[in-house]
Amino acid sequence: MTELSTVGPPLARPKLDRSLLFGYALAVVCFLVLGVSTPDGFAPDRLLGILGSNAALGIVAIGQTLVLLCRGLDMSVGFTMNLAAVVLSATMAGQDANTPAALGLALAAGALVGLVNGLIVVWLRLPPLLATLAVGTAVQGGYYVLTKGQPKGAIAPGFREFADGGAFGGTLRWGFLVWLAVWLLAAVLLYRTVPGRRFIVVGANPRLAFLAGVGVRRHTVAAYVASGLTAAIGGVYLTAFAGSASLTAGASYTLASVAAAVIGGVALTGGIGSPTGTFAGVLVLVFLQTILTTWDVPAPVQQATQGAVLIVMMLVTLRFVRRGRSDR
Amino acid sequence: MIGTTTRTALRAGIPLWLLVFIALIVLPVLSEPFRSANNANSLMASLAPLLLVSAGQAVVVLLGGIDLSVGGIVGLGTVLVATPAVPGWVAAVLALAVGVAAGLVNGLGVLAGVPALVMTLGMSGVLGGIGLLVLAEPGGQVSRGLLAVLTLQAYPVPLAFVVAVAALAVAWTAVSWTRWGRVVLATGHDPVAARRTGLPWRSATLRAYALSGLFSGMAGLAVVARTYSGDSLSGGSLILDSITVVLIAGIALTGGQGSVLTVLPAAAVLGLLQNLIVLSGLDSYYQYIVEAVVLVIAVALYEASGKRPAFLARGG
Repeated sequence: MTELSTVGPPLARPKLDRSLLFGYALAVVCFLVLGVSTPDGFAPDRLLGILGSNAALGIVAIGQTLVLLCRGLDMSVGFTMNLAAVVLSATMAGQDANTPAALGLALAAGALVGLVNGLIVVWLRLPPLLATLAVGTAVQGGYYVLTKGQPKGAIAPGFREFADGGAFGGTLRWGFLVWLAVWLLAAVLLYRTVPGRRFIVVGANPRLAFLAGVGVRRHTVAAYVASGLTAAIGGVYLTAFAGSASLTAGASYTLASVAAAVIGGVALTGGIGSPTGTFAGVLVLVFLQTILTTWDVPAPVQQATQGAVLIVMMLVTLRFVRRGRSDR
Repeated sequence: MIGTTTRTALRAGIPLWLLVFIALIVLPVLSEPFRSANNANSLMASLAPLLLVSAGQAVVVLLGGIDLSVGGIVGLGTVLVATPAVPGWVAAVLALAVGVAAGLVNGLGVLAGVPALVMTLGMSGVLGGIGLLVLAEPGGQVSRGLLAVLTLQAYPVPLAFVVAVAALAVAWTAVSWTRWGRVVLATGHDPVAARRTGLPWRSATLRAYALSGLFSGMAGLAVVARTYSGDSLSGGSLILDSITVVLIAGIALTGGQGSVLTVLPAAAVLGLLQNLIVLSGLDSYYQYIVEAVVLVIAVALYEASGKRPAFLARGG
């Protein structure tokens, strides 16, 4: 493997992160439990279907990872997803011809939210938690005021079919492919390009990055824009999947995306973790959720489980995986 | 240097007190509907949960932590009280106990090294899930006897408001004048120094989170006193509300700096704004937007006045 460039020895890619191993080990365990929990559980069609229908979380979590990597946190992803859904539905108005314009507008809305988040964090220096929660709440107010509590427009039938279709006769859902593409893009950018390496420095050590002449603010804003964009993509896919826009569907994704990143070994202190780790975290959450659904566990319990898993995984990571490396 | 009664800590609140006093003199003159006793009543009733949650949040923030589980505790509290299966009094006590228990678990998690942000975010997921499990749809039935007590009032002053102000006063006094309060402030000011000097920071942390949980449980009851029903999601907006109030009150999110007393005028400012939006006949959804703007303006003002607390570090 040849690196396009090296930024410096301390930033060389870690050989094999223990938390990464741990994340994938957990994903495998969940996978096995999922497989044996139902007859014919290992059928590839079923597994790929599960991944396809949960692609929104995978996509959103990658944006969340980028923000966490540069010492941020994006609490607005759920609201941004709903905003994208509302914008998509309103501009599409049920016409296939409007699809490209609607998609463009929805993604632009997401990127705009991310930009505002980033600028507030960078210029007003509000803690990311607060800035993104405030922007998210304002966004929520915005789409409630505009829609009066009822999403306008409709999803075009052609776009609706997109969610169910896929490559190879529908086996590989388009959503799953988009997820893979976003992950690949993020991973390649972070580990194989100079801007990506700079981005990692900004998260790992902003002071050092500043002294080295790396634009800390620029990279931080870029992370939030990326997160807004992925949230919009996730929201769009969710809407296509459900067949109609919702003002609340995205809400649970904020917690889930943070949980996926934490399970995948992303540290809240920035600089540690990768989209590849988050990929494992998403797999864990998705498999776990499917297992609980097969066992007829009600949806609220699944939400509670997600919260508990987040806490337990953080504890495990602190105690056993990242031993000796301070995370506070 | 540190202390919530020292002049520096209290001085930050003077403009806020002035703002609230001026608003309370000017608004009744300008606005006919604002003058009514009914409006004063509903304003105070809506302030009660905000004051309670914000007071708890303030203590946790002074400790250098943050509590995102307040909304979950409030929501679960309303749900428990509105469940017909449990008799009213038991439910009320249960709501408070759940609050304390959740707070203690939060504290234990933080002591075990989990960042406060992750710990309380996870906890809010757990509590929200339990709340939805008990009561899937907003509604339920609150026992008559309990409701009568919760909605007691010396018109136009609701009992819940009096209790909330009293709770805030207790929290302020405790942080200012007890040994526990000094340890909370010291830990928030410099956690490493607090540990090295052998202060009982562990028990102080546990108690701070437990207090926030208890106050959130009480806030749940105060919400029921207004809505007469249970809703697992009813506390959601209180998370940002309480952090906004703490921030307006000039309490540094990095901990150890600020006064719990200032939470009172800060919450009043937010409450008055929400009240004005309702009175002006605007869509109540505008509240969300206005609140975010207020938050940003407050930070900008602190920045301009040069008294800006060190916000730079993340609030976790």
